[in-house]
Amino acid sequence: MDSFNWERHRTTLNKIFFRDKDFIKEGTKEYDDFWLFFKKFQVYEARRKSKESHSASSSNLSSSLDIPMQYHPRYRINISIVTKDIDEKVHSHRHHKEKKKRKRKHQSYDDDFGCEDDELSSERISQFRSVILHYLDFCQKQDFVKLKKLKTEQANLPIAHYKDEIVKAIKENKVAIVAGDTGCGKSTQVPQYLIEAGFTHVACTQPRRIAAISLSKRVAYETLNQYGSEVAYQIRFEGTKTKATRILFLTEGLLLRQIQQDHTLKQYNVIILDEVHERHLQSDFLLGLLKILSSSSHRDDLRLVLMSATINLELFSEYFQGSPVIQVPGRLYPIQVQYLPIPVEEQTGKTSRLDPRPYVRILQRIDKKYPSSERGDLLVFLPGMQEITTVEGASQAYAEETGRWIILPLHSTLSIEEQDKVFDMAPEGVRKCILSTNIAETSVTVDGVRFVADSGRVKEMSYDAQYKMKKLQEFWISRASSEQRKGRAGRTGPGVCYRLYSEDDYDALADYSTPEIQRVPLDSLILQMKSMGISDVRSFSFIEPPPEGAMNDALRVLTEHGAIDSDENITALGEMLAQLPVDVAIGKMLIMGSLFDFIEPVMSVASVLSVQSPYTRSAYNNPEACTRRRPIESDHGDPITLLNLFDEWIQMKSDSRSSSRKWCKRRCLEEQRFYEMANVKRQFQDLLKDNALLAAIDDKDIPETSYKRRQRHADKKRLRELKNEERFQSRKRKVLKRTDGKYEIDNSDDDNDNADDHPSTSITSNVKDLEFKIRHDLDKLYKASSVRRNFTLRDIIMLKIILVSGLYPQLAFPDDCNNYSPDSDQIFHTKNKLFVVLHPNGYFSHHPQELEPTGREDNSLKKEGQSGHRGLLGHRHQLLTYVSLLETTKPYLVNTMRVPALQTLLLFAQSLDTNADCRRIVADGWIEINLVDPNAAQSIIASMLQLRNAWDQLLKLRLEATKNESHEGFTLVRKSKKLQHFLSKKLAEFLDSRLEYRLRRFTTLERQKLYVGPGVNDDDVVEGGFGISMTKAAPDAVKGGMKLADYLTYNCLQELEESSLSGDYLRQFWTCPVCQIKMPMTVGERLRHQAACGGSNAEETNQETAADSKTSTSIPQLQRSYHCDVCDEDFMFSAVEILKHKRTHKA
Amino acid sequence: MDPKKFKCSSCGLTADYNHFGQTPLKTAKKNIVLLEKAYTMRNPFKSNDGEFLVVGAHCSICGDVVCVDPDCSLFYSKRFCLNCASNNINEFPLPIQKEILHNCKSR
Repeated sequence: MDSFNWERHRTTLNKIFFRDKDFIKEGTKEYDDFWLFFKKFQVYEARRKSKESHSASSSNLSSSLDIPMQYHPRYRINISIVTKDIDEKVHSHRHHKEKKKRKRKHQSYDDDFGCEDDELSSERISQFRSVILHYLDFCQKQDFVKLKKLKTEQANLPIAHYKDEIVKAIKENKVAIVAGDTGCGKSTQVPQYLIEAGFTHVACTQPRRIAAISLSKRVAYETLNQYGSEVAYQIRFEGTKTKATRILFLTEGLLLRQIQQDHTLKQYNVIILDEVHERHLQSDFLLGLLKILSSSSHRDDLRLVLMSATINLELFSEYFQGSPVIQVPGRLYPIQVQYLPIPVEEQTGKTSRLDPRPYVRILQRIDKKYPSSERGDLLVFLPGMQEITTVEGASQAYAEETGRWIILPLHSTLSIEEQDKVFDMAPEGVRKCILSTNIAETSVTVDGVRFVADSGRVKEMSYDAQYKMKKLQEFWISRASSEQRKGRAGRTGPGVCYRLYSEDDYDALADYSTPEIQRVPLDSLILQMKSMGISDVRSFSFIEPPPEGAMNDALRVLTEHGAIDSDENITALGEMLAQLPVDVAIGKMLIMGSLFDFIEPVMSVASVLSVQSPYTRSAYNNPEACTRRRPIESDHGDPITLLNLFDEWIQMKSDSRSSSRKWCKRRCLEEQRFYEMANVKRQFQDLLKDNALLAAIDDKDIPETSYKRRQRHADKKRLRELKNEERFQSRKRKVLKRTDGKYEIDNSDDDNDNADDHPSTSITSNVKDLEFKIRHDLDKLYKASSVRRNFTLRDIIMLKIILVSGLYPQLAFPDDCNNYSPDSDQIFHTKNKLFVVLHPNGYFSHHPQELEPTGREDNSLKKEGQSGHRGLLGHRHQLLTYVSLLETTKPYLVNTMRVPALQTLLLFAQSLDTNADCRRIVADGWIEINLVDPNAAQSIIASMLQLRNAWDQLLKLRLEATKNESHEGFTLVRKSKKLQHFLSKKLAEFLDSRLEYRLRRFTTLERQKLYVGPGVNDDDVVEGGFGISMTKAAPDAVKGGMKLADYLTYNCLQELEESSLSGDYLRQFWTCPVCQIKMPMTVGERLRHQAACGGSNAEETNQETAADSKTSTSIPQLQRSYHCDVCDEDFMFSAVEILKHKRTHKA
Repeated sequence: MDPKKFKCSSCGLTADYNHFGQTPLKTAKKNIVLLEKAYTMRNPFKSNDGEFLVVGAHCSICGDVVCVDPDCSLFYSKRFCLNCASNNINEFPLPIQKEILHNCKSR
């Protein structure tokens, strides 16, 4: 083609060739691609023509094949464009043009001079058409190559040779095991084989969400179903599953949830458990459940496939005896192993830090031996973050000196952007050195690694059931994981693995890593088992059962929380907790929150506590970010601070003028976490609604404005488009560049908040933003968060009480010697674990003064030689509640919140023990409350009894109401509303109490001599002695004294001094403040009466509260004097009370 | 439109095709025709339903089913499997002859 200016005619050509109904539409990506192709093609054609003119070998011989012998590339294309309407178009176009021309000629004569050559003649049009044909042909070829490549790759996978064997084994057996090492293709191919073999609903579990997503994408591509939903994934908050789905990749946790709902898993005909050798808690449990299911007669058609690496295969084949095992070789390149044990002088002692020198020597060794022109990166496995920082520092110096290395850390607390850097490319002649935790062993796969350096150590979380404390400890890795690490060097070519230990060390390693079930708390697992109807959890057939002790500990914890009863049967509360995919403590918080119509903020707190902390690694040493965060912090502690952060983020999100991304970045917060919080919260909301714990607010009541609806539809459409875009623009690898002595990604501008310029990050963040807006009603979230900004102190205290109701007994008591200054560690004691400190990143370790005890010195104790804060008398003693205990270098309290001591202990202690006059109260056998005034003490215990009774009843009512939705349920709801009203009011009074008291923690020695012992102080059993209502009481068989309630034992404490005159035997005239009964009673009797009198049922309490509301001092007006003939006593009774009193005599 | 199996007699490539004939696909844009009766499938690499991919056709000489891979067949106004093409190599214009030789070698 010549110099004809096609561009000039683009509009015309658009009208002819690129209309809506044409193959290539104007304005699409194909259209742009076409014009690119067009330009290249012109160049190519020009070259071809000049060549052809030299070697014009036109033979006019005719061919016997009936093909044109005059060669023209046109004949090589098997596609043609129907020309009829094009000709019409061309014609009309020309006609139009002529007219225009004529018109124009009238106006100006110079305009179109000598442009005849530039005319879009019919020859030109057909020329153009032929280019389109070439383009279409080119596209066809390109896509066919893709198809062929894909098919060849599939056929070349090691597993392809075993296809028939695998399919046969699965068809003929209920359970089959496929074992193959990295790169054999089992995860991608086996589901496809099964679909081809005629199975229609295949589920494949993955231990990691990322794997579920990426596998579903890969398999969809391989099955040529990239744009359909035949292959889908489902993870906690999102999924692509539709009715057409035949292969579903899902997380283990999700399959577990599905089993909970449908024990026989009718929706699948094959279940593949992938990576079972990793032995996660959930996969172990699934193995057990599916083993039972596959051997039961309910699902004779169900097929179970276990897929694992080739390690520890005997264990699985023994567990599923008689099941065929198909072993597939992996595909790894040869890896050379070198043992380079660390010399003694550089070895890390128990306390000293890791010596980075051996690691730097690896870099040097590689530099010496391998020319920098040979590509290949280094992956170093280190035990933990701290070691990574140490080695990073030392090797950074070497990297700067030589200019041959880029040092990149990789661990889970890095921000997602920072983590992604390990996938970028190093410039020519430079290698990446990735310093990683065991995250790179399985979860993150980095391509291009040729060298692996293995420290042989790992930091792993273990669990100390005695203290309910997580421990991050360093261990030797197992031989299996040492092999896995080595394998990382041979994925893309032959590699080298340097082991920083000796061959003897290697031989001494344990065969396999400890399975998760042996080292994590089992509370949630056991609760789930119970709720599935597995009553005898101890005899459940696990592949390897957990230690008996851990099971017992878990059962104990569940009993303490009221999730199972003393016979280990699941309670209504337990059933509800099992529905919530969170820790028992957090689940309990949610349920309690729903009792008080205070659920909105509780759900937010539960969400913020259920996701990883939003603080980035630099959050604590960036003073600017700290300053910016300060106004959001709450002096109540971390949970409330996190709640504030979340609320603030929502405010940012709903303000279209501000960027939540920037807001997060400036405060060193990871925005992703907030999206997660919003999702978790939404999930809580749905679950609570499903279980009728949250009134389903009818959104339909408030009609959506048409504007809003349009907006929502537009958002949804935009999201689809963006997601498609994101799919193609799978993160492009960038080239890392050196700046300021550190390597940064080229053209990224992290410090200037301009990350939005990154096309890929901005698409991803836009997708997240839109997804968020569609999934959540931002207005509602905004309102809730705004409401919380106006929270009164009382609201916050109420919120805190609900949080503690879940967290109890996770309480810590301050040490007497704390100085409450931020420069030193503040020491605390939990009941079982002494000497724990505030986590350095927590709110209180920066503001310990908030925890300083207040009150006045008490002289009576001073003379006994007690010092410090011990004797402080006041009404504001505080304890710390915490979300978890974590031991790293020290045992730390994580996510702490200060709570009022007296109220928390009285409301939630499992056991409360008193002396005769109730001035001494011991909570859970380790904290003593010392009140001054015996009358005040007795009345607060009475209030406590009422409150706890009412609370229990309300909980029962609510849980009952969730079970039946009929009109009976309705009366239950009405009843509970009344109770709720009463409780909220009483609780507020209780929390406002300004009683002065002293607070003391018992030493272990003191705890042993706490009680009077059985048979003492328990001989006044006067059942219904005065014919008035009283709770039952029985002697306590262990502590002595009288057990007045499950949690309250009266008069069982050893008296410290013989001062108590107002003993239990002394009856004094006393008037009940509720029913106005007046009679001589002992303290114990009074308490029993009051427990029964207040809040024993909703009707009664309702009347009382009605009366209360008139006169706040609770002196009812409706009472009159009444003489009872049976007991010969005078009372002040209301009409109803008279009837009630009479009834007690009849009974 | 039930997928049917296509199998190349030369390389063994299999694929589920959706349509056989001179029009690419029922859903495809109407203004495209093929110059041979071919096996087409919905283009799996495009999001648009109307996009198609020609996978193969019958050799105009021996009638065998071959895919469009240059190692298996060539199109020059008609489809020829590589075997028939090389058996009749002299019947083709020169540039095509060169190509046949080249492809035979690479196979």
